[in-house]
Amino acid sequence: MHQILAILAKEAKILTRDRQALALLFAMPAFFILVMSYALEGVFEGGSKSRPVEVAVVNLDQGGLGREVISDLKGVEGIVLLETVNGIPLTQEKAEELIRKGKFPLALLIPETFSERAMALSMDPAQKGAVTFIHDPATSMRLLSGIKGTIQGIILRRVLLATLPARLLKEWGAEMGPFSPFPGAVSKNMERRIEEMVAKAGKGAGNGPEVTFVSRPAQGHAPGRLPSATEQNVPAYTIFGVFFILLTLASSFIQEKKEGTFQRILSAPLSKATLLIGKLLPYYLVNLVQIVLMFSVGVALFGMKLGNPAALIIVSLALALAANGLGLLVASLGKTEAQVNGLSVFLAIILSALGGMLVPAYVMPGFMKTLSLFTPHAWALAGYQDVIVRGLGVRQVLPEAGILIAFAGLFFIFALWKFRFH
Amino acid sequence: MSMTETILRVESLRKRYDSAEAVGGISFEVRRGEFFGLLGPNGAGKTTTIGMLTGWIEPTGGRVEIQGMDLSARPREAKKMIGLVPQNFAFYPTLTAGENLTFFGRLYGMRGKALEDRKAFVLGIVSLADRADQSVGTFSNGMKRRLNIAIGLLHEPALLVLDEPTVGIDAQSRNAILESLRRLNLDGMTVLYTTHYIEEAQDLCDRVAIMDRGKIIALDTPRALIQSLGKGIIRMEFHETVDEALLGRIQAYGGITWVDGPRKRAHLETDRTAAALRELLDLKETSQALFNTLDVMEPDLETVFIHLTGRALRD
Repeated sequence: MHQILAILAKEAKILTRDRQALALLFAMPAFFILVMSYALEGVFEGGSKSRPVEVAVVNLDQGGLGREVISDLKGVEGIVLLETVNGIPLTQEKAEELIRKGKFPLALLIPETFSERAMALSMDPAQKGAVTFIHDPATSMRLLSGIKGTIQGIILRRVLLATLPARLLKEWGAEMGPFSPFPGAVSKNMERRIEEMVAKAGKGAGNGPEVTFVSRPAQGHAPGRLPSATEQNVPAYTIFGVFFILLTLASSFIQEKKEGTFQRILSAPLSKATLLIGKLLPYYLVNLVQIVLMFSVGVALFGMKLGNPAALIIVSLALALAANGLGLLVASLGKTEAQVNGLSVFLAIILSALGGMLVPAYVMPGFMKTLSLFTPHAWALAGYQDVIVRGLGVRQVLPEAGILIAFAGLFFIFALWKFRFH
Repeated sequence: MSMTETILRVESLRKRYDSAEAVGGISFEVRRGEFFGLLGPNGAGKTTTIGMLTGWIEPTGGRVEIQGMDLSARPREAKKMIGLVPQNFAFYPTLTAGENLTFFGRLYGMRGKALEDRKAFVLGIVSLADRADQSVGTFSNGMKRRLNIAIGLLHEPALLVLDEPTVGIDAQSRNAILESLRRLNLDGMTVLYTTHYIEEAQDLCDRVAIMDRGKIIALDTPRALIQSLGKGIIRMEFHETVDEALLGRIQAYGGITWVDGPRKRAHLETDRTAAALRELLDLKETSQALFNTLDVMEPDLETVFIHLTGRALRD
């Protein structure tokens, strides 16, 4: 124990004197959180032609209007509709379940009476149909509101078009009569009146739009507050920063090997295990300090709400363990400092991108989403979002923490098998 | 001082890496108070041997005993007896000399006033007493070599093991280091050290083990080695391949070893260096042999090494 403390104290002294390493570990992720949250948020969000967002559709409409809306939506770039799973049309329950599991960010629920109510509108404006959006609270609001806006516009247009003949009849039925000739001479006047009518329909003449849109999280998710961009960016960039410990950790191991200090330490009466624990412990602590610091930035600058602290701590402890394991693995694979530096930066960035730290995983194509599950990053982010966004507690984050610890175990086993002190 | 007690016993020590055998079963003993040298060219297996003696490298086979304790059975007790001075500057450049000493001292369980007193003492031995608070990165190479030795002495080991302690420094620093090692030895410290500098080994060592390709090929006092194995050597280089008749005249003085394939470079090992040289110069006069160079080497550990391996140690 005395020896572990001696190694820890030495390592801490060396680390605090390496300003560049500290800047990399603390300033970089904080800087990323700031820049990305303020400036680039809209840029890399989904919903574009190349990265469409998948929307589940549950169409219960007895009439044809629902089908027409779906056909319109299919023509929209940036949205991919999913109506069936394994050939079976989606039910509301199934859609809710898929969203809870994070398979889709958004589902659209068209009710049974959708066509019926829309057609009755011209007679009775109180007969508004309601369309429900079901969303994953962990999905970016900016992304959702853009897509919801597009869908709302298409639905309103389709309802307006469907009800246009009835409206025209109601407006002009009296003055024109069934056999009146088309009043070409008054076309200017008519155009103005149609415009007025359309505008009125859009606004719903003081009663809101012609269709009511309800938006709620999937059942089983904590209802209410939607996640902010910060609540997604802070954990994501924290994880991104945590894995930059690879660089500092692995290169410090290679340096000790190269300088001969490992040789000297091991000539003292202590075991290799003592050396490894003393050597890794400070980096583990640095990771935890990083996490506290990044989350503090989120709370202080963006008013982020944290949720259950015990659950956050469990995810953080497991995350730092996985990062340290990977660091030791890199140290055991590289022979020179240049090699481990290259490998560290490569892994830190590629795994973050794959895991959905830089681009949210839900806008990735299917195989990429699957691939992201093979990174510790994705599980750490899922754990944090369970707590921060979905308001879940200790018990619910245990699976994610368990998987992170399993990653750590794998990394350590492989690293210890490969690692040489000389 | 008694030189009969064995402080280090090495038996059939081997280290095999995937591709090659770095150390191929060596045995030797170091006695208390002795200055013992492992002499050999780069790559002979000296550093691997040191690594196995100090618990850094796991041996493939064989046994190391330090003051009667088996290193693999009782590593903690055995390692406390040894002070290692690795070939590299094995300390942390961003820490001060004092901080480095504190760290390594704590690994041996030292602390408090005892540690501070000992730090001051070893810094005094290597003349760095006034540099304790200076960051080691600012030290000259000579100062770094000295600090390297101070750290090895810190926990009062019974045996000081040094791996090429004079590599890469100027002659003045080198002499200062060798002088302090000699003084330490005179004060009773047993020293085991590796080198590829012949003069150093010859001057300092009570006994020398000559290593080549993972084996100890000779072990004795430098004087005994030179007397029994060291003849004078004349290194000859010819313009062209030499004829047999000429060789006959030279061979009267000793054995000839060809150093290269095309028979243009040869060693003549002889007890009668002066006479052989006269004969060779005479041959040169009569132009029967076209020499590029003639190089006469008096008997020393270098000629011992050439005698044993056919190669020069410096090559």
